[in-house]
Order: sequence, then structure tokens, then C-alpha cells
Amino acid sequence: MSNIRKNISEVYDQPDLSIKGVQYVDTLEQFVGMSKIVGAHVQFVKKGDDINELVHRSYPEAKVIASNLPEITIATINPDKVSTPQELNGTDVAVVKGEVGVAENGCIWIPQTMKEKAVIFITEYLVILISKSKIVNNMHEAYKAITFTDYGFGSFISGPSKTADIEQALVMGAQSARGVTVLITED
Amino acid sequence: MSTKHSKAASAFLEHEEDSRWHNQSIWYVREKRDKMAMELSEWEALRDLSSGIKRHTITHMDQYLEQFSKQAEANGVIVHWAKDAAEYNDIVYDILSGHQVKKVVKSKSMLTEECHLNAFLISKGIDVVETDLGERILQLMNIPPSHIVMPAIHLKRQQVGRLFEEKLHTEKGNSDPTYLTQAARMHLRNEFMTADAGMTGANFGVAATGDVVVCTNEGNADMSTSLPKLHIVSMGIEKVIPDYDSLGVFIRLLARSATGQPSTTYTSHFRKARPGCEMHIVLVDNGRSDILGNKAHWETLKCIRCGSCMNTCPVYRRSGGYSYTYFIPGPIGINLGMLKSPQEYSDNVSACSLCCSCDNVCPAKVNLSEQIYRWRQELDGFHKADPMKKMMSNGMTILYDHPSLYRFSLKMAPIVNHLPRFMVYNGLNAWGKGRELPSFAKESFETLWRKGKVK
Repeated sequence: MSNIRKNISEVYDQPDLSIKGVQYVDTLEQFVGMSKIVGAHVQFVKKGDDINELVHRSYPEAKVIASNLPEITIATINPDKVSTPQELNGTDVAVVKGEVGVAENGCIWIPQTMKEKAVIFITEYLVILISKSKIVNNMHEAYKAITFTDYGFGSFISGPSKTADIEQALVMGAQSARGVTVLITED
Repeated sequence: MSTKHSKAASAFLEHEEDSRWHNQSIWYVREKRDKMAMELSEWEALRDLSSGIKRHTITHMDQYLEQFSKQAEANGVIVHWAKDAAEYNDIVYDILSGHQVKKVVKSKSMLTEECHLNAFLISKGIDVVETDLGERILQLMNIPPSHIVMPAIHLKRQQVGRLFEEKLHTEKGNSDPTYLTQAARMHLRNEFMTADAGMTGANFGVAATGDVVVCTNEGNADMSTSLPKLHIVSMGIEKVIPDYDSLGVFIRLLARSATGQPSTTYTSHFRKARPGCEMHIVLVDNGRSDILGNKAHWETLKCIRCGSCMNTCPVYRRSGGYSYTYFIPGPIGINLGMLKSPQEYSDNVSACSLCCSCDNVCPAKVNLSEQIYRWRQELDGFHKADPMKKMMSNGMTILYDHPSLYRFSLKMAPIVNHLPRFMVYNGLNAWGKGRELPSFAKESFETLWRKGKVK
């Protein structure tokens, strides 16, 4: 540390960070468009729709469904109740709630609200619920809006896991979700 | 006048098809970056902000590091300080052995490459598994990365196919990238499930909150840290940034610059250990605080390791990462290598055409080409100046300082136009190796001007 202090000569002030960032005419439309570009499926949940039905229709072959959300009644395993995170391996579909959607890049902020966050990454397919009123234009706005729970973890997730490490050929489903469905809810 | 770099580059270019593909693939990534940049009208403003934030943070590094470590510790994270690579390796080994760790899964960290951590841990009997697909491929092949973001960019699918046939027992002759990635997924899934510890790097450390931010496309950093009970973060001290307002600027620039994506798939914030688990952060200096005091070169600390400078660099694209003697190639690698050891890495400074394209793409506005130029001026001081070039420079000085001598040589120059080829294109004419000399004008500009022939 003393070496650091010793070596600082000229100092610079923090620049003015009141940048607005890109504003979209239709933020929701941009969010939907970007989500698709990054590889996610997008569906709108209308009042009266049964989310469980939507999840089942998107993934009819799914046998192991993980969620700690009380409204997901088709869940067969709860990430709050497992004794080790390894038990969540083999999850076909995980359903989680996002807090903030970002239009410029299709990211959704998912704060950890379950005991084992492994559920978000170990699952074959990820379903993210996001309210259409929680979608912002850009990351500047997002970073003012996101919150953490006591678990102290959160992630901006944009589409499925991907890699182009083999000859620049894009492949979905590298280590985490092979596919993502974003369910945009009314509330 | 051949340097280590030019010799290695010649060898690289002998594989015509592969080197052409290398150049094209990487240029394509540069083009994707451009598309992203042009879509945001505030792109240049973001670059200015990023440079400003970094300059401010770096020149107040002690305060921000103090704040960062205090916040992290308040969150229950254990913070360690390593003055150099040796101390860093020891600290990591101590933590791992203290937890009886037999296997570590790692997400990508150039810092761990810099400190040669993997080899050190393996020598102590700890299994280290790289989980970034590109890094894992290279680890299985026992070769180093050739790019800091796309480490296996120099490999073809057939090479990966053959490797996986041998190591992962995949189908013979199948080199389909989807099939191979799937095989790697299965293999690495097993490693994640049975690892005792997960190690990550840190793209950013947020001082205001103690967050460690890790950006990946694969989700391997998250897999590495969601299963094992121990998480160790390795972070260079220059990675600290003040707050979320600053972070927003960098997150908007990083993936766009690195791969031409608006964002990486996962941008994860680690604040605390999971319940019943442990999280450690090792802050590493290893020469960075010295760089801080280097008035000509301290701005390399602004680098956010996006790799866009190497993507644009015509020399990198046509010579490949292995042509550089430092573990980081391209414009940033040339500068970091010289800062590490001018004696050892001076060959790399010739791997630059001073086109300055790197300056224009760097999201943190590091003056890369200017710094390379400065290093070249300093070479003689390190006794690393090429003697042939020195002789030519001195020769040119004599020529330009003596106008009558200069005019005489200009008068004689057109003779070269008529000399037999073997006299002009030989060992003494390094410049002429891949180029045709232009023909010298019959009358020099000065002669024409004096004769009134120039209006």
C-alpha cells in the first residue's frame, strides 16, 4: 500500500458521471428484440394466464422442475429445501424471478432469492419472470434500480449460456442453460 | 535485422490457409465491435468517461482499495494482499490446503497466468481444472492461450476433435463444434460437481459495495462458485473502480469492445460467501504499484483486458499470439511486457507498424501506440537497440546534417533503378524482402524546385 501512495504523483478528479445513456422510443419493444437477438424466447403473460401452463407448454418433456416461487405449482424440487446444491443437477427447467430488465442488451437482473443459486446455472433450461413495468433503457438506469437480498449475489443474465471458442462457431448451452424463456408479466 | 517476433511470424505465415483464416476471424470480431460502437451515439462519450474514471481511480488507488477491502470484510469476505506472484501463489495454496482441497475448478483469469498459479498448484498435488471451454482445450493440449479473450482462436475444429477423441472419448472424426461443446459440457459438469473449490478472476471490484464482478458467456464462473464451498477471487489491484455509476460505463463498453456483443451472457456480482461457505479475495500487486510511478507508462493500468487492441492490430492478426514472447500478445502485451522486464521482452516492440488503430478502439483510451513508440526510443538505454538499425539511423543523421552530401546521394540514387536485381535485393536489403522498391525519381524535388519546375 505504501508503494502505491509513494508512486502517485499527479491526481485526477472523477469525471461527471451524469450520463443519460441511450433512451428508446419503445423500451419494451427494444427489450423484446434484444432478448431474441441474444437467443432467448420471449412470451407475454396476459392477466388470467396460468404461468405453470406456459412453462409446461414451452418445455413439455421437462420432468424435473426447480423453483422456490409459490406460484410455480408444477415444481418438483425446491432450491431452498435441498441439503446440497449438487442435488439440483439434472434439473430440466428452473423458474426464477427477475427484478430489472435492460433494453439495450436483453439482460435481466436476477438477485439471489433462494438458498442454492446453483439452480440458476445448473439447469438445462431457464425461465425468467420479469414485469414489463420493470424494464429500463440501459445499464446506467439498471445500476440505480437493482437490489440485493441478504444472500449477497445477483447476476445480469442475457440469453442462454454460449461459446464460440471452437473456430468461432456459436454454440448455445456451454456450461449453463441451453435455452432461456423470458415471460413478461403484467404486474 | 530479424527479431524473435518476425521470425516467429514468418513461421506462422507459412501456414497460408490457417493464417488467412486467423486474420479473417479476428478482423470479423473487430467489425462486430464497430457495429456495436456505431449503434450507440454516446460511444465516444463513454470512452472518455471510462478513461476519466480509470485515471481518477488509479491516482486514488490507495483510498479505493481501502474502501473495497473494508466493504468486502464487512460482508464477511476474507481479504488478502499479495505483493508479488510468489506471495500470491503461497496465499492461494495456504487457503486451499487449509481446506484440504484436492480439486479446483477455475474460470478464466489472466492474472493467474501471469503468476503461473496452475503449474504451482499442480506441483503441490492439487488438480486444477480450467472451465472456460477455450482454456480447457488448451489445458488438455498443454499449450498456452494465444489471445486474452478468445484463447483458442488459433485452433481449428479438427484439432479440437482429435483432442477430444483422445481425452474425452468422443466419436472418431467428429469435429462438429456443437457436438464437441456438448461433450465438453458433460465432462466439465462432472468436474464442477466434484470440485472442492472454485476460483475466479475479477473483471471489476466495486469499492462502494465490495462487489466482485465477473463477466462470462458460458456461465462457468457461476458454476465454479455455486457448487464447491470455497470461492477464491484473484484480483489485480488496478481492477478496483469506485461505484455502480462507474461500473455502468465499463459494463456497457466491455463486451461490445471484446466480442461485439451488447453484453456477456452473465454479469455476476459476488458480495458474500454462500451460507456455510467461504469467500476469499486476494488482491495482487506484482509490479502494478511500480507502474503507477512510471510517468510515461502508468496509463496501461487503465486496461480492462477486453482484447480489442489485438483484434484490430494488423500485426497480431497476421502473426498470432505465439509470436510474442510475453504471455499477453498484441499492443497491450507489448507494453505490459516492457513494464515487466525490458531486458526480456524488448523483441516485441518491433511487432508494431505504428498504425495507431489500437488507440482508436481501446475502450479505456490507453495511448498504446504512443507508449510503444516511447519504448522504442528507450531501447538504446537498455542496450537493446538493433545494431543494424542504429547504424542506419546514424548514417541517416550524417546524411541529413550535411546538405551537400544529401544532394549528392540524391543525384546518385537513380542509378539503383538500373542495377541488376542481385545487387539490390539481397541480405542487406531487409526492407526489400517482401516489397518491390519504388523507382527513384530522376530529379529530386529540391532540384526541381530550384529549377522553378514546381509551381
